[in-house]
Amino acid sequence: MNPEILAYTQMAVSGALMGLAYALVAYGFQLTFAAGKAVNFGQGELVMLGAFVGLTLTGIGIPYWLSIAGAMAVGTGLGWFVERSAVRLALKQHNEGWILLTIIIGLFAVSAAENIWGREDKPYPVPWQDGSIDFYGISVTWPEITIAAGALGAMILIEIAKRCTMFGIAVQAVSADPDAAELCGIRSTSATSLSWAVSGAAAAFAGTIIGPVTTVGPTMAAALTLKAFSVAVVAGLDSAIGLVFTGIFLGTVENLSGFLLGSGWRETPGLILLILALALRPQGIFGKKIIRKV
Amino acid sequence: MFSSINPGVKEKTAEHILRLVLFLFLAFLPSVWHGQYALGLLTLMAVYGVLLIGLDATVGYLGQVNLAHAALFAIGAYGTALSIKAGAPFPFALLAGIITAFIPGAALAIPSLRLEGPQFALSTLSFASLTIVVLNQCESITNGALGLTIERPSFFSIKLDPTGFYWFCLVVLYSIWLASDQLLKSRIGMAIEALHDSPTATDALGIGSLRHKVLAFAWGSALAGLAGGLHVMNFGYLQPAAFGYELMVVLLLGVVFGGRRSQWGAFLGAAVVTMLPNLLSNRFLFSALVSTGCLLAFISPVKTLISRRMPSFNEAAPACAMLFALLLSFFVPNIEEWRKGIFALFLFAAVVGLPDGIAGALTAAVNNVLVFNPEPLPEAKGSIPSPKVLTGYPLRTSHLTKFFGGVTAVDTFSIEIKPGEVVGLVGPNGSGKTTLINLVSGLYSPDTGSIEIAGSHPRHGSLMAAAAAGASRTFQNLQPFYSLTALDSIIVCQKKVDRPAAMGLLRTVGLEDKARKRCSELSFGDLRFLEIGRALATCPRILMLDEPAAGMSKPDITRLIGLIDSIKQTASIGILLIEHHQDVITELCNRVAVMNGGSLIALGTPEEIRKNPRVIEAYLGAEDLHASCMIKTEEEPC
Repeated sequence: MNPEILAYTQMAVSGALMGLAYALVAYGFQLTFAAGKAVNFGQGELVMLGAFVGLTLTGIGIPYWLSIAGAMAVGTGLGWFVERSAVRLALKQHNEGWILLTIIIGLFAVSAAENIWGREDKPYPVPWQDGSIDFYGISVTWPEITIAAGALGAMILIEIAKRCTMFGIAVQAVSADPDAAELCGIRSTSATSLSWAVSGAAAAFAGTIIGPVTTVGPTMAAALTLKAFSVAVVAGLDSAIGLVFTGIFLGTVENLSGFLLGSGWRETPGLILLILALALRPQGIFGKKIIRKV
Repeated sequence: MFSSINPGVKEKTAEHILRLVLFLFLAFLPSVWHGQYALGLLTLMAVYGVLLIGLDATVGYLGQVNLAHAALFAIGAYGTALSIKAGAPFPFALLAGIITAFIPGAALAIPSLRLEGPQFALSTLSFASLTIVVLNQCESITNGALGLTIERPSFFSIKLDPTGFYWFCLVVLYSIWLASDQLLKSRIGMAIEALHDSPTATDALGIGSLRHKVLAFAWGSALAGLAGGLHVMNFGYLQPAAFGYELMVVLLLGVVFGGRRSQWGAFLGAAVVTMLPNLLSNRFLFSALVSTGCLLAFISPVKTLISRRMPSFNEAAPACAMLFALLLSFFVPNIEEWRKGIFALFLFAAVVGLPDGIAGALTAAVNNVLVFNPEPLPEAKGSIPSPKVLTGYPLRTSHLTKFFGGVTAVDTFSIEIKPGEVVGLVGPNGSGKTTLINLVSGLYSPDTGSIEIAGSHPRHGSLMAAAAAGASRTFQNLQPFYSLTALDSIIVCQKKVDRPAAMGLLRTVGLEDKARKRCSELSFGDLRFLEIGRALATCPRILMLDEPAAGMSKPDITRLIGLIDSIKQTASIGILLIEHHQDVITELCNRVAVMNGGSLIALGTPEEIRKNPRVIEAYLGAEDLHASCMIKTEEEPC
């Protein structure tokens, strides 16, 4: 194959695989948005904390798989904490305070991470051998395959749980109408907490699979939040399959534009896409239009 | 406890005097607090004052989390810096800053202000990130990450020294403060608060939510640009990294901590965010401050505990956050490393514990001790305003149809309403009555058919167009402007502010003695009457009342009948009345239209309707189905 085209394809494939990680973080937004119409503006910070916890656990000799479990446990707790401390009250009062509060908790998380783990980016060691698999000259590394398999696997698992378990169905009922769900005997606050906890676990898991590809540092949080937001908003906040497509698309575009325009411009396509999507189709490409009722 | 003291002045006068004293104090402060550093801080405080008054327009008055303000501040600063580099004199350089921030601000406002809540915050956040990327990357213009250095130009051939520039900034802050106060207390400000409470009602009453949103955002952006210009003249150096996310959080801290929806709050917030980083360098002072804050935060949960109740979340959470900050201040080796974390804790405590900020808490404290003379109310004049356009029928619809998916909510509905006529619209629940009103008032766009209001055909699906043509409505589920007073709720709906007429209208709907009360303090029945008053204030040709008597007490219903009857006498207004109360319909309506399953099944005088077999069937079921008849009688009888 033409070496130039090969280089572009290589870029596009790595970008697309990374895009699946964005889709997973964005999926966390969908989970919390369904239950209570709020999202965590500090979701990227949860990803960062998850990565740091995983890193620390591997550092003290715990195997990679167990460190993922540990990070997810911490992520679950943090997700629950954000809902309890920042979102619940503000949603009850019907004001936008939760946006501020989730930003504030994220800010504290960054500050804490800077002081506990340091400001420098750290590599995340993985148990796989170096090297990569070649498909017709395009190489894919093992950590990249972990991202793709992990992100898709986690999303599929949660989607199945949402449809087939009593907990999942209860959460869907609450997302449709919290008051009606309460009247049917579902504790809507518990269902909302559950969504936030799962969302936190997904974010922490994303941290442990992204970490080996990028590096782990306090600065990863803000960029990830925005990218995941772009994916979630462009796709629409109620379609999981839309997230996968949008994530792949955005990851590809981002990598190619970083390659063609210079690394400083990497973020711009996502941001422009986000503004355009918000201006032209606020419900997202895969989303349903909402009818105003009075 | 204390008996209240009346200082014998109006609140506005007292505020004016206090503000003058504050500015005189600030102007003389450099002669006591010497040094280049102190002067730099004071100037920065004045600049942040302007900036935060601008941010308060969106975050406070509009109630939307705006994360683009730091970026607009940066754009203004770059605009001024680049025009100074190009040789522009002082005033033009400032003007350049204002314009460069105003244009992207207004442009960003138009698409993103159609959005609400998180989506709005997001679009501003992405705009902010984009701005920083562009400032960093366009090195040929902005010199990239290395930054720009400029020299402050002279002010009309006077070379301003730092003190002179500080005074200049104070004068700017004072004028912006007054201008902002005037703007936000005028009808425009009322409209901005109204749309915060109910954007739908704001549009349906022809006030216009989008234009006021854009206005608030544009005003805020212009102030950000002005502040940016002053900032670069003060510092003489610019770098994109200084305007990032961290500055944005600091600015939000300022507005929220100082107090939203108040220029005093913005100023206090500016003082806090300017002085706070300096406090962090003085360990002792910082610990003392945090301890005081912690003590204050603990007062209310401890009080609750003493009365043997569990403190609520809003009481306990700020105390926990402050306690955490206190621990940090004692045990962390280097406080400045934790700067962001400490900001976060303060901000958390302020958002949860002090929703009205320092300014709000101080105002409440002052109002406990002092009782100011109230603003005089206007003399009531006139009653129901007559519409100016008198052409055509108030309302004429033909073959109006609306589908929701597979459901036909309104099916080829045609009706005419004559001037001075009251048409009752009845039908079982879910028969499409409210959807019809939503179509006429422009909330929904019909799939087929036409709507003619007072002889004109307003654009379909536009609340504003329908309101401009002369449609006005009330809502089945109340949509009050909670933060406005009863009188202001009427004034904001008038096409031209006429306070005596608004008072007269308030007298007509029977709320004259509650003119100063906020809508949040009014009873359900009062709010229903106020909604009718609001609708009348727009001088409608067609007034649509959606179940006005629902939930009202018997005496209130009698009052309502009297009110609608007197509107009927104003011959040129047509009324479309949805109501389930049979007595209201019989007493008021010239004709009654009955809907079932989206279509008009009968139209005639109340007596004719009562005997119509199709109507009886719709409500009670057909004669031969006795079983369903028994069940259906539970519905409201017609």
